[in-house]
This record gives sequence, C-alpha cells and structure tokens, in this order.
Amino acid sequence: MLVLTRKTGEGIIIGDDIRITVVELKGGGVRIGIDAPREMKVHRQEVYERIKQENKEATQWDFADLNTVSSILNTGRKKS
Amino acid sequence: MKKVQSRFGEIEYDPESTLHFPEGLIGFENLHHFVVMPNEKDGPLFWIQSTEDPLVAFILTDPTGFYYDYRVVPDGNERRKLGIGETDECHVVSVVSVSPERQITLNLAAPILFAPATNRALQVILEGTNFSPRTPLPTVEPAQATATSE
Repeated sequence: MLVLTRKTGEGIIIGDDIRITVVELKGGGVRIGIDAPREMKVHRQEVYERIKQENKEATQWDFADLNTVSSILNTGRKKS
Repeated sequence: MKKVQSRFGEIEYDPESTLHFPEGLIGFENLHHFVVMPNEKDGPLFWIQSTEDPLVAFILTDPTGFYYDYRVVPDGNERRKLGIGETDECHVVSVVSVSPERQITLNLAAPILFAPATNRALQVILEGTNFSPRTPLPTVEPAQATATSE
C-alpha cells in the first residue's frame, strides 16, 4: 500500500479525475473530501462490506424458507 | 429458450426477458443476468436466479407493501445507468433474508432500483440513512419511513 503524509488542506490526485482532500483533523478522526466522477461509487468501507456480507447471506435460502415466509407474510401483509 | 442450472434444479428461461444488472449486485459485480422466478405460493415474494452462477439466487419483495412510505428516488446518474429518462417508471425492490431461525428481514439500506422500460436493475447503497440492511418486518403498525437515494 502506498502511504503518504498530508496536512489539512492538502490532497491527493488519483488518475485524471479523482481528487481527495484532507479537510479537517478532529478528535482522532479525519474528514476527507472526495471529488470523483458522478458514475464512480464512493462508500464508507464498513458500509460497503456490510452490504456485501448481507447480500452473501441473502443467497443462503431454500424453498422451505420461501414457503414458510410466504405463509407468514400472507397473514400479515396489508390488504391490497 | 435457454436452460440454467440452479440449486433448485434446472430452469428454462427466455434470454430476452432476463433482468439485467449492468453493475451486478454488491459483492456479485460479475453477475449481470438474472431470471425472474415467480413464487409458487401467492404473496409478495419472488426470486431471481443468476444465469451465470447456479449458486446465486435472491428472494426479493416490494418493500412498500410493508413500509408504506419507503421511497427511493433514482438520481440522474442512476437513471442513466438504468437507461431511462426523467419521466420513466422506476420501482424499488428489496433483498429478503431469512435467518436460520426463520426471521425475515429486508435490506432497506441497499435497495434495488428496477426500470421496467429497460428491464435493468441497480443495487444502490443509501448514504446517511437510518434504514438497516436487516430491517425486520413491521410487527404491529407499519413504520413511517422515507428515504432518498444518495
């Protein structure tokens, strides 16, 4: 991993169109500003990892689950 | 018609009508095509099977059936990825998890946007939301809830 030292207000350029700026250092945290193209997804790592894990676990089901859950839902769902 | 293997046996499907995830789902970025399977039982659930990985299938549902006011509005960038314009329809769908204890949760933190016009879908992560990726079904009265996509 490339490790660089930056001060508040300083930044890093990645490629041609990503700019990361250290905005503020406060109470052991770092506020970071990110300029990136709109189509580029930027997420907090732990949030992304959580969703990834959640998706993975969501694939672990079988038809017995689907049937049981369907029965539960059919009694508790709003009437349309 | 084409055939795909799944954990539940062989499935025949029409390649013209598969659901296209241009970016895959989070953690499954290389899986772009899913067959939409109706649930055999009546109810709000359906499921999708990857045509590229027999092991990957998700149970999905319309979250607004449980959380009436849950709204996720695609931004311009997301509409572009879905191949739709400002006025085209876009539905929100949630991934359903079933725990070993048969607890049902909806992933309201990372909904799937679905555009019927193009048959494309996109999973988005909501930023700054209080919605949990494991939102239990409402027990008594449905909660009041709103959300916007990041």
